[in-house]
Amino acid sequence: MHNMIQIKGARDGLRILFDDSAEWPDLLTELRTQLMQGGNFFAGAKLTLDVGERALSDEQLSAVLAIMEEHGLQTEAVSTSASATRRLARAAGLTARSTPRPATAAQALPSLDEAMLLVRTVRSGQVIRHQGHVALIGDVNPGAEIIAGGSVVVWGRLRGMVHAGALGDSSAMICALELRPTQLRIAHLIARTPEDGNDRYTVQPEVARVVQAQIVVESWDFPRH
Amino acid sequence: MARVITVTSGKGGVGKTTTTANLGTALAIQGARVVVIDADIGLRNLDVVMGLENRIVYDLVDVVEGRARLRQSLIKDKRVPELYLLPAAQTRDKDAVSSDDMIDLTNQLRQEYDFVLIDCPAGIETGFKNAIAGADEILIVTTPEVSAVRDADRVVGLVEAAEKGPPRLIINRLNPRLVAKGEMLSMDEVVEILALEPIGVVPEDEHIVSSTNRGEAAVFNQSSQAGRAFHNIARRLNGEHVPLLEPTEQNGVFDRLFGGLFGRRART
Repeated sequence: MHNMIQIKGARDGLRILFDDSAEWPDLLTELRTQLMQGGNFFAGAKLTLDVGERALSDEQLSAVLAIMEEHGLQTEAVSTSASATRRLARAAGLTARSTPRPATAAQALPSLDEAMLLVRTVRSGQVIRHQGHVALIGDVNPGAEIIAGGSVVVWGRLRGMVHAGALGDSSAMICALELRPTQLRIAHLIARTPEDGNDRYTVQPEVARVVQAQIVVESWDFPRH
Repeated sequence: MARVITVTSGKGGVGKTTTTANLGTALAIQGARVVVIDADIGLRNLDVVMGLENRIVYDLVDVVEGRARLRQSLIKDKRVPELYLLPAAQTRDKDAVSSDDMIDLTNQLRQEYDFVLIDCPAGIETGFKNAIAGADEILIVTTPEVSAVRDADRVVGLVEAAEKGPPRLIINRLNPRLVAKGEMLSMDEVVEILALEPIGVVPEDEHIVSSTNRGEAAVFNQSSQAGRAFHNIARRLNGEHVPLLEPTEQNGVFDRLFGGLFGRRART
């Protein structure tokens, strides 16, 4: 499967990569679809449009920016090897970069099968954003966020916010050794911890998933189908 | 060569200034040559806590803007010989200095002193960035309160992003009686959330209020528990091995009040 539009998590934001060979109208259609499905996944992220070697006309650039704006997204930078496009981007008040694409980006990546493994503590104010699955060895502290296109596995304490299936996949799951999130989201569903004031939790691994349009949390050894 | 250490917290009112004043004083009493810098430009406090307010002629901004030499603006402490204060300007704001200015400043001080302690303003904006710019090490101060710990966690993330290495943790104003009743986070609970090595736990101590108001560091007061805790932190900063005990009711003031009935020893 070859994606015309690829979304990659960068150090401090998201990079939207446009395929070099695809037809322009198809790209715009695909961008619309992805942003529509993505919803929350993109919200608040610093976005870089990577248009590769494509030289954009003024109208084309405006069209892309307009689509981004329709979805409430602020584009921060444009990355391209075409100097004319960089000039246009600067004129539009954006940062322009000529960062070459990493060689792997040119290949078709099966986006959702790509998982990210992290070994760290995700602290308050930090956001991990990844299009595929996220596996974390460490804790997610209160105030921290993990937003993933796929499932999220936390080998540690989950006390922050996790959004799995943020691109619309409601089959995504969230597992943690200690599941005490401030909030969980799967696809378009939101669940929060009950405010029963009882903090004597039994610490056990748990799994959250969507059952009949509701987020359900079960113990890890709960009998499954 | 001095070690430049910034004392920060994120949240205000958790005891950054008190910690800076007491640690600086304790280090100087123990024989080090120490400069404490108030980086809270516009809201200066460190001079008041150290009782040096009436001696200020020049401040940090005067140095940065070339109106005074660094040596001129350092205020010598009243009691300890090798302790100096570089006060903040009160009539300016955080934008009066840049990160580069702070790096220059600390580099000048490195040559002549053993420790440079920087009292960081609350928050995570310009003032915070300036205060950590020249630092080699970071001390995070938090109280055992959920909101303070949350802010500390945020700041740890920013310190790590600035590649300052793992900060060390001071848990301030721990009340052993409340911990024993399960109403306050314990040392272990704070450490568990922040995943940081604690360098000291300072018990809640009424002496701090009076000593702060008098402008005299609590480390001078032999009967102040917090003062003793700061002395221990200073020794640990110097590389001495001093066992770290969570304050309990037995070794707390509450011992005298409640006979230590509910006390429990924590692990070191």
